[in-house]
Amino acid sequence: MKRDHNHLQPNPDPSSLRGAPSTGKAKVWDEESAQQDCGMDELLAVLGYKVKTSDMAEVAQKLEQLEEVMCNVQDDGISHLASETVHYNPSDLSTWLESMLSELNPPSTFDPFGAAGTAAAALDDSFLGPAESSTLTTLDFDNINRKHQKSGQQIFEEASCSDYDLKAIPGKAIYSQKTQPQTHDSSSSSTPTNVKSEKRFKSTSGPPSPSDIFPPPPPPAAASYGIPTASTRPVVLVDSQENGIRLVHALMACAEAVQQNNLNLAEALVKQIGFLAISQAGAMRKVATYFAEALARRIYRFYPQNPLDHSFSDVLHMHFYETCPYLKFAHFTANQAILEAFEGKKRVHVIDFSMNQGMQWPALMQALALRVGGPPAFRLTGIGPPSHDNSDHLQEVGCKLAQFAKKIHVEFEYRGLVANSLADLDASMLDLRPSEVEAVAVNSVFELHKLLARPGAIDKVFSVVKQMKPELVTIVEQEANHNGPVFLDRFTESLHFYSTLFDSLEGSVSSQDKVMSEVYLGKQICNVVACEGVDRIERHESLTQWRNRLSTAGFSPVHLGSNAFKQASMLLALFAGGDGYGVEENNGCLMLGWHNRPLITTSAWKLTNKTTAISQ
Amino acid sequence: MAGSNEVNLNECKMVVPLNTWVLISSFKLAYNLLRRPDGTFNRHLAEFLDRKVPANLNPVDGVFSFDVLIDRATGLLCRIYRPATAEEPEPNIVELEKPVVGDVVPVIIFFHGGSFAHSSANSAIYDTLCRRLVGICKAVVVSVNYRRAPENRYPCAYDDGWTAFKWVNSRSWLQSRKDSKVHIYLAGDSSGGNIAHHVAARAVESGIDVLGNILLNPMFGGQERTESEKRLDGKYFVTLRDRDWYWRAFLPEGENRDHPACNPFGPNGRSLEGIKFPKSLVVVAGLDLIQDWQLAYVEGLRKAGKEVKLLYMEQATIGFYLLPNNNHFHTVMDEISEFVSSDC
Repeated sequence: MKRDHNHLQPNPDPSSLRGAPSTGKAKVWDEESAQQDCGMDELLAVLGYKVKTSDMAEVAQKLEQLEEVMCNVQDDGISHLASETVHYNPSDLSTWLESMLSELNPPSTFDPFGAAGTAAAALDDSFLGPAESSTLTTLDFDNINRKHQKSGQQIFEEASCSDYDLKAIPGKAIYSQKTQPQTHDSSSSSTPTNVKSEKRFKSTSGPPSPSDIFPPPPPPAAASYGIPTASTRPVVLVDSQENGIRLVHALMACAEAVQQNNLNLAEALVKQIGFLAISQAGAMRKVATYFAEALARRIYRFYPQNPLDHSFSDVLHMHFYETCPYLKFAHFTANQAILEAFEGKKRVHVIDFSMNQGMQWPALMQALALRVGGPPAFRLTGIGPPSHDNSDHLQEVGCKLAQFAKKIHVEFEYRGLVANSLADLDASMLDLRPSEVEAVAVNSVFELHKLLARPGAIDKVFSVVKQMKPELVTIVEQEANHNGPVFLDRFTESLHFYSTLFDSLEGSVSSQDKVMSEVYLGKQICNVVACEGVDRIERHESLTQWRNRLSTAGFSPVHLGSNAFKQASMLLALFAGGDGYGVEENNGCLMLGWHNRPLITTSAWKLTNKTTAISQ
Repeated sequence: MAGSNEVNLNECKMVVPLNTWVLISSFKLAYNLLRRPDGTFNRHLAEFLDRKVPANLNPVDGVFSFDVLIDRATGLLCRIYRPATAEEPEPNIVELEKPVVGDVVPVIIFFHGGSFAHSSANSAIYDTLCRRLVGICKAVVVSVNYRRAPENRYPCAYDDGWTAFKWVNSRSWLQSRKDSKVHIYLAGDSSGGNIAHHVAARAVESGIDVLGNILLNPMFGGQERTESEKRLDGKYFVTLRDRDWYWRAFLPEGENRDHPACNPFGPNGRSLEGIKFPKSLVVVAGLDLIQDWQLAYVEGLRKAGKEVKLLYMEQATIGFYLLPNNNHFHTVMDEISEFVSSDC
């Protein structure tokens, strides 16, 4: 059984034939025997519940207790559990039941015998959501209600919704084309905002460290329940294959020819694909065109220029942001977790690995401003690549955010850090303050996978993150394995992934947004298919793979709860063609998918062991 | 009140293995949170709590699966389960709809349960069950992700079932070699069993053959309160009150439980006499409070001269077929296998 640590071999062997996928049946048995060692009830594990056989009787007892208590409380006790309580990780039955028992029974009258067992609910913290836990309020509830009332649906008739103070998610509202006066000077000290000039530093040269390239296999406890999720390949067919089948066949045949270095055949097939694609309609045609172009580049060795012109890629990014919910979902769910982690903290610092145009932050700042007890002092360090023109891109973004902060009366401090790669960061560059004084959250949206292109980079970054001693690390990544060692496997996986993604764009209202989003995604396709080595940065990996990496590196999961789930679901309903989108909870992580095919995953992490952070 | 609850819980615990009891009790608990007294449903919490699994092209125990969007307008998805073959242990992603190999290949269209309101085709409990059916019946299984109540009342679930049926019937890759036809069986548990019946009725009306119906604890009812309902109310995970809630949520507003959807052989029902209805395998759990309705259904089929085999599992509760840890499970799986293979 081969475990697939893909940062080992960024350069594939082009002559290798399409072999068996890296994980397969063998892995099933390994997972199951590992679970046996943990004492999990296997039958329940297959159905999605993690209960130790030795805990079964106790879990049964909690169920009985809960049943009895629920019989005795009034209807609004149950309604409270359903609508106010935040639920976490329903797979962990014991902890879930415990959290409900605490909600219904104040601790003083609670039977301590019941509580004793929960300490054993080992892997994850029982992060019980207090009923007043703050929630990002970013939705235009009136519009949702109107929309659904039209179609006669009643699902949003919720008494508690009147408590939400809902606003639209800032997007164009903040970053509209109307120019705002650029102020580069820091405001005088009498105003609360403070924008530090960015520091520029060169990427470090020299060979990557050979150590930590071969991390040990993760302990069995890190795996999720008995289902072999590591080797899961979800596929949804959105087009009747009967129409597009010749096209897909041609694409696959071409990719195979490329893999076998049979470039004459590949060339012929690429031309054929062009003709076939024209006769197709909709998403399939566009996807096929991008993949064909990428194959052509690979065949003719005409690689795309890396990196893109910055302002153009910004434009593409923003259109993608507006067209479909992926980025908004990512920002929203990550912000929800950060908001919860920052509860009670007076000074907070967000380190954003994926700064771009800073679109994630106004919503968080707004939620912090509305916090009971007033907002914390909010510091933001935005990290991004250098601009190619002479503009001070990160600085501009910081200024806009500073203006926004001023408007909503949040004390704000900003610094932009330019880096070619996150691996160039060192903790000393971040001006970290003692963790008792300032709580840190690290945020990465679609950035970490790029580090897998260079050996040792991801481990360096994890090690630096640990030195930041964050309360929370939020990570959003594509839910796919586009980093396998075999080219044809990567091609196949990405073909289906992007087909699904393009299909979800078809319902977009604005055709310009749609086109820009397709170009944005097309660049990713090109990178996955045409590039290799350090140039191939779109090295997406699945949640299971990321879980393994993170637990090995010393991080433990922090669960996203039912409130984040619900709000994310409501967010999706705002998008045209929204019916196809769905949120799924997976062991504390939230996945956004199109017609049941998961496409992106948000996960949150904390240090397993806070005290060892310094020595890393 | 508390005292009688204790007795109930103890009785209940004695007839099922502990892990089964924990599983079904958890569902019961969750479902209590989701049903609101005003008839609305907490769909977000339901989706959050439901344990789901993705489709998986990598074979697990010889079975792989993939989802297909068969009707974009309604977002109707089906999950297809196929056996991996010796010749092709790893399915090729371009050949998911490769023709089935065999003179006779049964195709089972499966409708998951959940009282019309709960669960999905990708719920872990149903994904697991469908995978088993592939192995047991040497069949292709198509699990229909039909629209649920209360957001989508009658006849949405039946319409979706019919759409899926027509889709399956028109797939050339699902045709058996013997007669170039798709050999269709309809199966379902709880509300899924009810849907299977109604889809079968529609199929025969349209002149399309269904080879057999497999109904596991099918959900039927009626206005009258039957003896089993009174006797078993609240005793084995299920209450009359929740049954009533689900019917109110599914049936058209203002209709009562003698609506033919709920009570197909009741006062508003229709006899199947003279109609070429498929043979049926009906499984009834002896501790299911709605058994009188299920038995009346069997009686209705018999009176109309239809072939029906009744499997009455005396000490079985609802959901016994979700875990392979009891004799009822194995008995029923054997019978299902027999029922399907007798045509091959």
